[in-house]
Amino acid sequence: MSSSFDQMIVTEEWESTDLSLLETLDHVLNRGLVIAGEITIAVADIDLIFVGLNVLVSSVETAHEVLRKRQTE
Amino acid sequence: MELSPENPLMAEPQIETAHAEEFVEQLRCVTDTLPSRINIDAQSVEQGLAKLVLTLIEFIRRLLEKQAVRRMEGGDLSPEQIEELGLALMKLEAKLQELKTQFGLTDDDLNLDLGPIGRLI
Amino acid sequence: MKLYAYCLVEDLDAFDPTTRGISGAAVRSLQIDDLAVLVSDFNADTVAVTKENALDHAAVVRSVLDRTAPLPFRFGTLVTGQQLRSYISARKPALQTRFEHVRGCVEMSVKIIREISTDNETPRDDITSGTSFLEEKRLALLGSEQKAAEATEISTWLHEQVNGLIRDEQATVRSSEKLVLAAAHLVERDKIPQYKERLAAARKNRPELHFLFSGPWPPYSFANIELEFKTQFGVS
Repeated sequence: MSSSFDQMIVTEEWESTDLSLLETLDHVLNRGLVIAGEITIAVADIDLIFVGLNVLVSSVETAHEVLRKRQTE
Repeated sequence: MELSPENPLMAEPQIETAHAEEFVEQLRCVTDTLPSRINIDAQSVEQGLAKLVLTLIEFIRRLLEKQAVRRMEGGDLSPEQIEELGLALMKLEAKLQELKTQFGLTDDDLNLDLGPIGRLI
Repeated sequence: MKLYAYCLVEDLDAFDPTTRGISGAAVRSLQIDDLAVLVSDFNADTVAVTKENALDHAAVVRSVLDRTAPLPFRFGTLVTGQQLRSYISARKPALQTRFEHVRGCVEMSVKIIREISTDNETPRDDITSGTSFLEEKRLALLGSEQKAAEATEISTWLHEQVNGLIRDEQATVRSSEKLVLAAAHLVERDKIPQYKERLAAARKNRPELHFLFSGPWPPYSFANIELEFKTQFGVS
């Protein structure tokens, strides 16, 4: 899968017990239009759509690209 | 109801619950499942990929276990077959545990959110 | 220079040009075909998931809600203008359908917690035979099937309570967790008072469940256009 949308999401350590903040996060982080799209992985006869995996995979992908770029500099 | 600037129906989102602490505890997993800071050194990239692979294997392993139990319940396996199947699955579970330890991953790390299907574990 | 994209709107007049976005950047509206995208300039490759950024994102999307129902982008959507143009022109019909679906509505959230027993979940150390291994798994499976049945019942019950007052529902059921249900309801604006009343009454009938209600939100849960999925499982 190629990620043409070069975005990484980086978190910092932070604590929050603010319920309204957590509710807001639940809405803005887990939902909404996703431009990067989804990945379909077929395992045996089972088609699975990993929507949540999108973030993890594109993070790993981007890290790979940076590594590759560095090696060719 | 007419929408207009003079008639702003929308307030900021209100939250109403009698169990704030409980919900805070449950909703915090939203932040816990975010990828942590990406270190672009080989080891972290490797770990990210290991997480992916092990999650898939774990998923399959659980399916296999369920299938085995169903067949056992269905009564079409001999006692020896049940024993063999159980031992094989037991070893598979132990092996996977070893791999998780090797990569420093916990069950929570593998508990990816599969969207509409829910969490893996 | 990248753009941080907040949401799509169909109604250009809905935008207040004094809105501020992520890192205090000015938010502007970019017109593409007959839709508009709310964006701000963003000069890094990563969007930190911080309280400030999340709240700024939510505030920008919220700022148009009084006048129109936007299609919010997920947090962290960094794009170029060209990528936005391609995305929109490739998916125009689907986006129009989404706008029709959410027009005149807002999103209301219901989350439900229930107590669950955690027996049968910690594996015993003394299992050495394959047969008893499978027997333990069978018991665990029974337990999780029961939890799944309870979860389904709760989800069906909630849907029945609000049926007729909502245009759509997105519900996530997690049978093995305390937070068993997280539902988003698409509600027409003038039905909100009734919707709230209905839920207030319903909640009294289920004293064993713990509820959280929140809203109104912009329609985050009803925006995504690639929500079709097929799942086929040999076992449930």
